[in-house]
Amino acid sequence: MISQWLSQIGLVIRLEMRKTFFSRRGLWVYLLALAPVLIFLGHSLSEISNRKERQAMNAAHPVSTETLRSIQRGATLEEVVEKVGQPFAKMEFHRPRASFDIYQYTDGESVYVFGFQNDRLENIDRRDRDTIPKDSLIFASVFQFFYLRLAIFFGCVGVFTNLFRGEMLDKSLHFYLLTPIRREILTVGKFLAGLIATVTIFCTSTFLQLAALSLHFTGSEISEYLAGPGWGHVASYLGVTAAACLGYGSIFLAAGLLFKNPIIPAATVLVWEGMNMFLPAALKKVSVIFYLQSLSPVVAPPDATLPAFQRLLLTSAEPVSGAWAVLGLITLTVVVLAVAARKARKLEINYSTD
Amino acid sequence: MSNGQVSDRIVLDNVSRFYGEVLGVNRVTLSVPPGITSLVGPNGSGKTTLMNLITGLVRPTRGSIQVLGISPSDPEKLFRVCAYATQFDSFPRGMTGFQFIYSYLRLSGMSHDDCQRTTAFAIGRVNLGDAAHRKIAGYSKGMRQRIKLAQAIAHDPRVLVLDEPLNGLDPLVRAETIALFREFAAEGRHVIVSSHILHEVDTISDQVILLSNGYVVAEGQIRGVREEMSEHPMQVIIRCTRASVLASRVFEQDHVVEVRLHADGGGLLVKTRDADRFYRALNHLALDGVGIESVAPADDNVNSLYEYLIGGEESTR
Ligand SMILES: Nc1ncnc2c1ncn2[C@@H]1O[C@H](COP(=O)(O)OP(=O)(O)OP(=O)(O)O)[C@@H](O)[C@H]1O
Ligand SMILES: [Mg+2]
Repeated sequence: MISQWLSQIGLVIRLEMRKTFFSRRGLWVYLLALAPVLIFLGHSLSEISNRKERQAMNAAHPVSTETLRSIQRGATLEEVVEKVGQPFAKMEFHRPRASFDIYQYTDGESVYVFGFQNDRLENIDRRDRDTIPKDSLIFASVFQFFYLRLAIFFGCVGVFTNLFRGEMLDKSLHFYLLTPIRREILTVGKFLAGLIATVTIFCTSTFLQLAALSLHFTGSEISEYLAGPGWGHVASYLGVTAAACLGYGSIFLAAGLLFKNPIIPAATVLVWEGMNMFLPAALKKVSVIFYLQSLSPVVAPPDATLPAFQRLLLTSAEPVSGAWAVLGLITLTVVVLAVAARKARKLEINYSTD
Repeated sequence: MSNGQVSDRIVLDNVSRFYGEVLGVNRVTLSVPPGITSLVGPNGSGKTTLMNLITGLVRPTRGSIQVLGISPSDPEKLFRVCAYATQFDSFPRGMTGFQFIYSYLRLSGMSHDDCQRTTAFAIGRVNLGDAAHRKIAGYSKGMRQRIKLAQAIAHDPRVLVLDEPLNGLDPLVRAETIALFREFAAEGRHVIVSSHILHEVDTISDQVILLSNGYVVAEGQIRGVREEMSEHPMQVIIRCTRASVLASRVFEQDHVVEVRLHADGGGLLVKTRDADRFYRALNHLALDGVGIESVAPADDNVNSLYEYLIGGEESTR
């Protein structure tokens, strides 16, 4: 009996797969998933070109890091030029009572901006190129704010609500219901098909995002990072991506069975998940985002370099431990799937009125 | 538990189904033996609802159903012995006829090889071999009807439920399809078909179930149904002057069962077993002195339904 169910689940997955993976209607899911890859790719490419530019400037106006660092406030313009030579860029403003000069130097890595007032150095601004810790915070906020809450969320709305609803609109659901398969098995099969599709799409995207973001770091920077927390972070991000598909997938599979219009449950869940941080502890646990945040590897930024709202997002959950988060998410999924299977058992074919 | 007699029948016990306020079928009690059974009734009479109930696509509001002793809410068992070709003219996207039948057949647990063989055989049986590997989206209406039929017969069911299976078929294909039904029935299986035209199915059916407005109005072998019909006389309402004179003349006709004068004396109700003869006679009877204002069949009886069903253009107006 069990083996028959398993083989039926496998067959449903195969049948569904072509519909979920290769449908033109599902194209936007890919676009949604790939959007952050493009963002990070753009970021890396601009970092790379900035760096090339700095190195070219440094070649034209050679100066060492130590020399640049040795410059102190209060030095005169002449002293500075004597020490580090001519800048690669210079701006002058002259007023009746004061003159301002801005000199830019680079050691090929960072850009140093020296601000002079009346030929005296008043201000030193160093612009370092992005470091891995900084970029991993950028990644963490894009991941939590855009990727989990919007991209995966709406991707799952699209894929999972359509598992049943799409076939009702096509008027082809009855073909399943007229085969010797339990409705519960059908529900599980469809869910797994959606899960395989979304996990493949979104985990691939997560991986590509990390790869795109790491493009502008040097090989040694990357291997140092990977030897440290790196692989752990990669694995966690992939795990959280899959967990998000699991949690949101089950919810939207059920929503597709319970509601005629998926917009309404999607909006409700979006609001509920959005206000999760303001909910009391007991209610927090009835959400997907709570567990996902508990599982996310990069949490609150150490200092105030990020805007306040981002910090709020990154620190919103008092995280539970990883094992509890996984357990909580799986419990949530199983409960929601049980509701969906119950609804599937009672499902009637009424295409005309749906 | 159930004896052999019951378990080769489709049994409906006081089954009703409402769609909100709308009546689908009401208080249907049937025990259908094997053979070709036709559900006949006009649009909206409940044929599809009844078939959906038998196959579990909708659930009864009241009453219970057993198909060869199996409850329709147990698809795992039911669809090993039963198949249903619905009235929906829709198919999963992008599939060829072969892929369509094969994919769903696999779910019944057949091996890949068996499944391929069975699919090819079923498609051959409806003469669609040439089109098997073309996309269904490019099929004609008749081909789509046949691919549905092929899917239904593929796993060799003992109960074949087909909603308007002859719709859209040309005469040749229709004859072939009917021959297929006969073959199935001859092997002691159930073939349940629906139609809104009685003469389309009466000659091929072992039994007929007449439906009207959600009620089973007659049921049995076609001869029995015909007799039942003639026992239900046709009613005609006539408005005229000198109604009592007309009434006495009308009553002399041997096919007239009953005549009732309207309370206002301006008309009468006639029950007759032969409407055609009555209308012909009426022309003579009404010649002298009787001014006929209107003649109308009283619509809400079984006989007028029957007239409609055997219908066609020559039926009385
Ligand atoms: N999903 C539904 N929601 C509301 N009413 C319905 C639904 N399905 C059927 N009905 C109603 O139930 C009654 C019987 O409909 P049914 O489809 O069973 O008739 P039918 O005999 O198959 O008609 P047709 O010859 O047009 O196919 C009709 O009055 C119809 O309006
Ligand atoms: Mg119908």
